Amino acid sequence: RDMGRLFLISLEGSTYSCKHCQTQLALLDDIVSKSFHCRHGKAYLFEKVVNVNVGEEEERMMITGMHTVADIFCVGCGSIVGWKYESAHEKCQKYKEGKFILERFKVLGPDGSAYWVGRDPQVGSDADDA
Amino acid sequence: MGGVENSEPPLKRVKVPSGDLKNLVDEASHIVPISSSLGDSMARPPCSQGVEETVGMKGVIKKQEFVKIITRALYSLGYVRTGALLEEESGIPLHSTAVALLLDQVRGEKWEESLVTLHKIGLSDEIMVKRASFLLLEQKFFDLLKEENLMAALDTLRNEIVPLSVDVGRVRELASCIICPSQCMALRISSQDGTDANSRSRFKEKLEKLLPAAVMIPERRLEHLVEQALDVQRDACVFHNTLDSEFSLYVDHQCGRNQIPSHTLQILQAHKDEVWFLQFSHNGKYLASASKDHITVVWEVKESDLVLLKHTLTGHQNPVLTITWSPDDSQLLTCGVEEVVRRWDVNTGECLHVYEKAGVGLISCGWFPDGKGIVCGMKDKSICLWDLDGRELECWKGQRTLNISDMAITDDGKRIISICRENAILLLDREAKFERLIEEEQVITSFSLSEDNKFLLVNLMNQELHLWSIEGDIKVVAHYRGHRRTRFLIRSCFGGFEQAFIASGSEDSQVYIWHRDTGKLLLTLPGHSGAVNCVSWNPMDPRMLASASDDRTIRIWGLDGLKCKGHYSNGNGIT
Repeated sequence: RDMGRLFLISLEGSTYSCKHCQTQLALLDDIVSKSFHCRHGKAYLFEKVVNVNVGEEEERMMITGMHTVADIFCVGCGSIVGWKYESAHEKCQKYKEGKFILERFKVLGPDGSAYWVGRDPQVGSDADDA
Repeated sequence: MGGVENSEPPLKRVKVPSGDLKNLVDEASHIVPISSSLGDSMARPPCSQGVEETVGMKGVIKKQEFVKIITRALYSLGYVRTGALLEEESGIPLHSTAVALLLDQVRGEKWEESLVTLHKIGLSDEIMVKRASFLLLEQKFFDLLKEENLMAALDTLRNEIVPLSVDVGRVRELASCIICPSQCMALRISSQDGTDANSRSRFKEKLEKLLPAAVMIPERRLEHLVEQALDVQRDACVFHNTLDSEFSLYVDHQCGRNQIPSHTLQILQAHKDEVWFLQFSHNGKYLASASKDHITVVWEVKESDLVLLKHTLTGHQNPVLTITWSPDDSQLLTCGVEEVVRRWDVNTGECLHVYEKAGVGLISCGWFPDGKGIVCGMKDKSICLWDLDGRELECWKGQRTLNISDMAITDDGKRIISICRENAILLLDREAKFERLIEEEQVITSFSLSEDNKFLLVNLMNQELHLWSIEGDIKVVAHYRGHRRTRFLIRSCFGGFEQAFIASGSEDSQVYIWHRDTGKLLLTLPGHSGAVNCVSWNPMDPRMLASASDDRTIRIWGLDGLKCKGHYSNGNGIT
């Protein structure tokens, strides 16, 4: 598939990368919480994520309430890797604003390890009532 | 052409008082006085009484001034009779009686009398009067010296010139003339070149420039005003892409959009994969393109604007991401992605040298302005300077550049420019060994240096282009928007006549062109069937633009087939 010269930001250190194309997405050090969930199992909340395109904003009802989120897509292959919290409707959820969720199923860990859906019972998306 | 000589009306024609003697002393006055201080006769046309008349629709042009500069222009053009006739018919003499008398006396070399008249003009600025007196007395002094009347000359210097207390340095020079007359000739020639006639006209020019414009209307004033208006028209013309010879006074200047390349003249197909970079040589005779297919192609731009393949440069093991032309365009540098830099001979297509560093991939390259060295960015973030044979001359370690970064060197060899942090560009001063940073809020993806090295065009991740001034005060001076960039490295450039335009590639497969000064998006050029990665405007031909695309082709853009020279708007700027 044709694509131009990808503009990618390089991260140094232990990183999570896209499962399909290995594009670096986030640093291990930037994990805020590992207690999130999504349709495909575990999800981590990150302070910062790179090399993703942010999609359209939409209202979504999460486990912890209504949020405005936008899906994020890997710049390298276009696959959806998680979402970004644009705004939270409830005060106690505001800490998530501007932060990103990467679905564990969609990424390779710092050690290159993958993750298989089905390990954890499927609950709704969101969590970590900090 | 002499200053006063050709434009002087015969004195006897000045029948009516100027009525503007009072204006000379009090320039703020708009009321034309009835009486004049010289007590001339009162005969004058009735229309110049009372409040000052204006011409033109906006009421800002004073009729008197308007007529006077026309009169001045007529005399300058040599139309003495017409000039005099205009003065008579309008009742508006070019010079006041006193000034006319002064000019006449100056022409007749009657220095004593001219000094008297000078004081009668009624100038309020004392220093100016003194300086004008100085000029007149200087002429008297030189004349006396010429007659070899040293005593009288000395007397003039001592008793008339020195008491003025102006231009003391000149006084000393004049004094030296008395002591050494031959020196005087040298002096006279050095300050007032050439023969007597020439030196006389030079003196008149000086005198004219000294007196206020209202007293002695500057020569070529009308021409100057017209040129100013043309400048304004030209600046307002966003499509302007030609030399000035196309101006007409009959209608306001306005180029049509067909002055900018907008039409595909050629589609160059030689690459087997995405074309990522291209650039014209400094002399505009060649174009080099680099591709993901590991190959660089050198194209030749023929007289007829036809672009033909000249060489295919193979050797890189990785996609070629950038090309730089040597200052004299005889050689090329190409850089493979995290690989090596190769130097090629443009004429023969031979690879002359391979530059590499053990264990470290190269990511950018640039020529040194003297053509004797190259600068390369490394994957380990350092920047190295090598001579042509590959010997390392200098190395800046630390975070000087990033994995993906452009490299530029100013023509004076003093500054090296590269992206050193996600949102910062480093301006590394080689000599003074200090650094300055351009800092943005968004991530920087690429940049381009202007021809005069005073501006940097920066591409940001959020699809904006920022134009930075990097000389003196470092700051953003313009923004350009409209193109698309979400995933790729897209490049932009300066171009066109006097680099008045900004062009950019875009992920929507179009070429975008903005007017540099106003930031206005002028054109979007469809045609490519893949993202346009890079654009280059021919530095020697403002009508030619090249673009490189993911569709594996290069397009050469030129002016619209109709080839109209310009489209003029209706008359006097009323649109």
